[in-house]
Amino acid sequence: MKILVIEDEPALLESILAYFTGEGNICEHASDFALASEKIAVYSYDCILLDLGLPGGEGLELLTKLKQLKKRDGVLIISARHSLDDKLAGLDLGADDYLVKPFHLSELKARVSAIVRRKNFDGDNVIHFNEMAVDVSAMKVTVKGNLVILTKKEFDLLVYFLSNRNKVVTKNAMAEHLWGDEMDLSDDFDFIYTHVKNLRKKLLEAGAADYLRSVYGIGYKFGDI
Amino acid sequence: MKLANRYNRVNILTSIVVFAITGLIYYVVIHFILTEKLDRDLVVEENEIRQYVDTYHKLPLPASYLDQKIAYKNLSGHVPEREFLYTRYYNAKEQENEPGRSLITVVYLNGKAVEVTITKSRVESEDLVRIILLITIGITLILLLSLLLINRFVLNRLWRPFYAILNGMKSFEVARMDAIAHEDTRIDEFNELHQSVNAMAERVRRDYKELKSFTDNASHEMMTPLAVINSKLDSLLQTESFTAQQGELLADVYHATGRLSRLHQSLLLLAKIENNLIPDFQEIDLKEMVEVKGRQFQELFEKDGLSLTTDLQVVEIKMSRYLADILLNNLFSNGVRHNITGGYIRVELSSVALIMANSGKPGNIQSKIFDRFSKSADSEGMGLGLAISKQICNLYGFRISYQEENGEHIFAVYFGG
Repeated sequence: MKILVIEDEPALLESILAYFTGEGNICEHASDFALASEKIAVYSYDCILLDLGLPGGEGLELLTKLKQLKKRDGVLIISARHSLDDKLAGLDLGADDYLVKPFHLSELKARVSAIVRRKNFDGDNVIHFNEMAVDVSAMKVTVKGNLVILTKKEFDLLVYFLSNRNKVVTKNAMAEHLWGDEMDLSDDFDFIYTHVKNLRKKLLEAGAADYLRSVYGIGYKFGDI
Repeated sequence: MKLANRYNRVNILTSIVVFAITGLIYYVVIHFILTEKLDRDLVVEENEIRQYVDTYHKLPLPASYLDQKIAYKNLSGHVPEREFLYTRYYNAKEQENEPGRSLITVVYLNGKAVEVTITKSRVESEDLVRIILLITIGITLILLLSLLLINRFVLNRLWRPFYAILNGMKSFEVARMDAIAHEDTRIDEFNELHQSVNAMAERVRRDYKELKSFTDNASHEMMTPLAVINSKLDSLLQTESFTAQQGELLADVYHATGRLSRLHQSLLLLAKIENNLIPDFQEIDLKEMVEVKGRQFQELFEKDGLSLTTDLQVVEIKMSRYLADILLNNLFSNGVRHNITGGYIRVELSSVALIMANSGKPGNIQSKIFDRFSKSADSEGMGLGLAISKQICNLYGFRISYQEENGEHIFAVYFGG
C-alpha cells in the first residue's frame, strides 16, 4: 500500500517510516502544511497519517482540502490532542480514525491496515498469508481450506498479528488493542498468554505451520520463521 | 418566595395595620368632638333654665322636643353632683328608644333643690360617625385593592427583564458563544445587571478558552516526546539483536512510558472535569453499560478467579457517556485490583444508587481514599482513579461513598446526591 505520513516531529516520522517500509509498502512523508497539501493535491494514497498542528497550518484543513478535491484517500489522524471535540471534529470532517499519541507502532499499523481494507472493500477483503485466509468482513478463518473456529478476541488477535507480520509486538500493545484503555488497571498481562496459546493451538490443529514466537517475555512475533 | 410576593405581603399587611390605626384614631377623635359639641349645647340649655328660674322664680315647662327633653325631679336630702352621662330616652315622636346625652344638674327654686335632667339625642352624631367610618373603610378597601392590582400587574412587568436575565444565566453554557438574552427596559439597575452579567460571561469564556488551549498545548508538548520514546522503543524492538536481559530492561522502559502517559492523561482528565470542559451530555442506559463493562473485564475476573454477581435494574441517567465509561472502568478496576484470589464482585444498580462491593483484604484503606495520589502501599495504581471518580460524581451532583464491612469493600454512587 501507498502511505503518506504527515508529521512534523522528525524522530517520530523516522520511526513510523522505518516501521511501515517493507512488505511492498511505499511510504512518503511531508513535515509541513505546504508540502503536505501539495502532495495531497498531486498524488493519491491508500492512507494518509495526519498529524494535527503542523508548521504552516492546521491539519484539519487538509481534510477539508481532500474533500474539495473529491479524493477517497483513507485518513488516520494521529494527534496528541486528547479532547473529545477534536476527535469529533476530525471524524466529522471525514477522517476514518483517530489515534492519540503516544501510540504503539503496531497499533498504528493495525489501524492503517483496517482503513485500507475498508477502503478496498469491494475488492479483496480477505487477508492471505501462506496457507491461511482471513475474511475480515465475515470474521472467517480458513487454513488450507479448513474452517477454524476462533473466538472474537482470538480473531482480533490474529488480524493484529497479520497486520504486523514479522514485527515484534509487545504484550502491552496487544492488550491495549484488544481491550482498549481499560488495561491501565493492570500491569500484569499474563491473561493475554491464554488467548495467544489458544489461537496458536487452533491454528496448529487446523494444519498451519507455527508462525508464532515469544520474544524475551515482552511480546510475540508472527511471521515466516 | 418571590421578591414581588414578599413585597406585596409586607406592603398590604402594613397598609391594613396603618388603616386600622388611623380609622380608630379618626373614630375616637370625631366621637370626642361631637360629644363636646353636645355637652356645650347641654350647658347652654342649662344656663337658659337657670336664667329662667332666676328671672321668673319658677321652672320652665318640662318640654319634649324632637331632639331634646327636659325633666324635673324634686329632691329631698341627698343632692347629686352635676354630671354628663350617656343615656337612652324614649322619643315620643319617633316612638322608639334613642341614644342620648344627658346633663343632670340641680337648680334651687325658693330654697328647694330640684334635679334637672336635660337630654339631647345622639342619633345625628352617631349617624355622622357611622358615615365617616363607612367612608374610611371604603377608601381603605379601594386603596388595598389598587395596591394589589398594581403589585400584580405593574411589578410583574417591571421585573420581567430581571427574569429574562436570570433565565439566560441558568441556560448559560461556557462552550457556546451566544450572549445572555435581554429584554429592553428603561430601568437602570436591570440594564446594569445585564451588562455586568455579560461582562462576566465574557471573562468566563475567555478563561475557558485559555484553559482549553493550555491543556491542549500542554498535552501536545508532553505527549510528543513520549510518542517519540514509544516509537523508538518499538523500532528498537524490531532489531532483534538483544538478549533476555535487555528484553527485561526494554519491558521496564515500556512499563514506565506507559505509566507516564496514563498519568498525564489522568491529570489532564481531572483538570478537564474540574473545569467542566467535557461538553458531551446525554441520556445513558446505565444498566446496559454495566453489563458491557462486565464482559470487557471478563478476562481479568478469570485471571484472579473472581466471580461477578449482578442485580441490575434499568436506570437512565443524564451524563457524559465518556465520563460514565471512565467512572465504571475505575470502579470495576478498583474491585479487581483490591481483591483476593477466588473472591467476588457484586454490582447492584437501582434508580437510587450504583453499588459495587468486592471481597478484599480488610482494614488497609485510608480515610483519604478519594484524594489524589492516595493509595495503599501494595497498590499498583497511581491513586488517581478514585479522585477522578469523585470528580465525575461531583460534576453531576452524585455522591460517592466508601465503607468496609466484614472484609467487604463497598463503593456506592448515589444519584440523588
